[in-house]
Amino acid sequence: MNRRLKMLLIMTLFACISGGVLSLVYLISAPLIEANMLEEERRSILNVVPGIDSYEERIEGEMKYFECKDASGFVVGYALPAKGNGYQGVIKLMVGLTPDLSEITGISILEQVETPGLGGRISEQVFQDQFQGIKTEPAVGYVKNQAPDKDTDIQAVTGATISSRSVVTIINRNIVKFREIL
Amino acid sequence: MGEEAQALILSTSPHAKSTDSVRKIMGIVNLMLLPAVAFSIYQFGLYVLAMYAVSIATCLATEYLVVRWRKRPFSLNDGSALVTALLLVMVLPPRFPLYGVILGAVVAIVIGKQIFGGIGYNIFNPALIGRAFLAAAYPVWITSWITPRIGVDGISMTDAVSTATPLAQMKFDGVVAAAADLFLGFIGGSIGETSALLLLIGAIYLIVKKYIKWRIPLSIFLTVAVLGGIFHLINPARFPNPLFHLFAGGLMIGALYMATDMVTSPITKKGCVYFGIGIGLLVIVIRLFGGLSEGAMYAILFMNALVPLINRATKPRIFGTGAGE
Amino acid sequence: MAAKDDRKSVGVEFVKGFWKENPILVMLLGMCPTLAVTTSVINGLTMGLAVVFVLTCSSLIVSIVRNIIPKQVRIPVFIVIIATFVTMVDLFLKAFLLDLSKALGPFIPLIVVNCIILGRAEAFASKKGVFLSVVDALGVSFGFTITLIILGGIREVLGMRTFFGHPVLGEGFEPWIVMLLPPGAFITLGLLLGVKNSIDKRLKEKRSR
Repeated sequence: MNRRLKMLLIMTLFACISGGVLSLVYLISAPLIEANMLEEERRSILNVVPGIDSYEERIEGEMKYFECKDASGFVVGYALPAKGNGYQGVIKLMVGLTPDLSEITGISILEQVETPGLGGRISEQVFQDQFQGIKTEPAVGYVKNQAPDKDTDIQAVTGATISSRSVVTIINRNIVKFREIL
Repeated sequence: MGEEAQALILSTSPHAKSTDSVRKIMGIVNLMLLPAVAFSIYQFGLYVLAMYAVSIATCLATEYLVVRWRKRPFSLNDGSALVTALLLVMVLPPRFPLYGVILGAVVAIVIGKQIFGGIGYNIFNPALIGRAFLAAAYPVWITSWITPRIGVDGISMTDAVSTATPLAQMKFDGVVAAAADLFLGFIGGSIGETSALLLLIGAIYLIVKKYIKWRIPLSIFLTVAVLGGIFHLINPARFPNPLFHLFAGGLMIGALYMATDMVTSPITKKGCVYFGIGIGLLVIVIRLFGGLSEGAMYAILFMNALVPLINRATKPRIFGTGAGE
Repeated sequence: MAAKDDRKSVGVEFVKGFWKENPILVMLLGMCPTLAVTTSVINGLTMGLAVVFVLTCSSLIVSIVRNIIPKQVRIPVFIVIIATFVTMVDLFLKAFLLDLSKALGPFIPLIVVNCIILGRAEAFASKKGVFLSVVDALGVSFGFTITLIILGGIREVLGMRTFFGHPVLGEGFEPWIVMLLPPGAFITLGLLLGVKNSIDKRLKEKRSR
């Protein structure tokens, strides 16, 4: 009985100390971590909708989006966080759109685990920059190994059709959903 | 180590001795590859000849250096490195950069063969290890194809332009090439895999001479044909016909010359059949449902890994002991 | 334990982690972070330093409290101690080094189940004095770090042409993407093991002569 009690006490003691120490560390680091996340969000929004002064988070059902305004409070675009399956895992990105959703103002790949040097090249600026000014009607598309001639198309990363197609699909799917909400 | 190796012949009874030496068998295998090699040089140009030369030189030099370094008996003249060198180039795209060929050849000999102890001890087919490494190292180059000199329906092409393989066209664009073109080799693809006809001619001679185990290719072909046929019947619009499966891509060269590698295939007859069925199954699954357009390489490598298990599972029962399972 | 013994073995306990009892090349422990995060030098270094911190702190605490823990519950108590330090590292990285934290992904929290740490706690820190335990932890974890840096270095140079983010191989070298993928990790580790064993073998032959 005595030994059992001792075991219990010791484990409780260690758990309490551990919990105490961790709460302390958490208290110190939590604001910093949150600031990091907000800063990252802010950077990606400014990245995809250029020339804005402020933005506001809106939640409509399952969808979260950011309404972006210029200095005079005029809505100049939307930033839409989106995610979906790539070749190897989930791709998370942010799409910037004009107020009437007809044109993409920019995209930013936030997270991806595609093959480095191949599908992973969707994170390269060259690939992301292609999306600026792309029309969303009827849908965004892609072409392989040549410069696109339609204003809805981008060029897929060489040898990584599946990753490129995934990005396009994620964008299209979320724009369609977003249209229904607005 | 030489005598030791001779004392350890792995095979099922009866233990009849033949006069064939490794050198003789490998020599004949090399000879039987020559028609397909010659055709590939004609089809894809002199650059391919340079690739063969570089691959052979690298394989032989690497083999020599490793054997010297490990102080092992000299195995250079048994011709096995030459087989690896030829097969490696035959499964590469026609404009693969030469230093990529060198890398693949070194990997094939060092990691595919010598690390396991040299000829007779390797688990995987060395040429396929080389190609698998290159496929992962240079994913863009390994999928860059050009048109052959004699193109679809025997029409000759003047310029080699980049194109897709029939398997990739099937997978991504839903275009199925004609079986006759596939059979004769008037298609894009890896250097030595395009002509099913020439590969078959060489292989039939090897089968007649009993240098390759016919059960392996036959069970691969039957599995692929039957499974491919079933899927084709279910949905002809999405899944190509079984003939296409048989003659497209690396199935022919893989089934005839790589899966049948004496060292890396099962030693029992039953085991050979299981081995072949496994490869056929994997090829179909990868081709129809995987991310890649061709699966013969990975199918063979995967089944190579299972060979020890297959051997153990199909070990013939010793007569007079036990009452069976 | 006599002070004299202590002093003599301090050097031995520290050095053994680098070669004779290298956690990766000899004990083959902690394979999960070893193979998964060593795509670059910086990832290997960060993971290594995280392990240095966790292992040293947990060995310290474990050896201090080793006499009051009942034998039956020692493993859960060790795990709680280790998990505390791992969580601290994880929060620290998220707060100050967000990019690295993202690159290392789940492998920082997974240090909790890294066999090296529980192994040292169980095999060394729970039996030896405080000072020796810390020395042992430092030796083993730095041995781990250096091996991760070598692995990460080889993979980064061949897979991305860079070392520590600086280009070292010219444009003419086409990077081998395979080195950044899991097969590259296994092949590099296997070759490193082979090199280590062959060096050991040659040393032994020389000594016996």
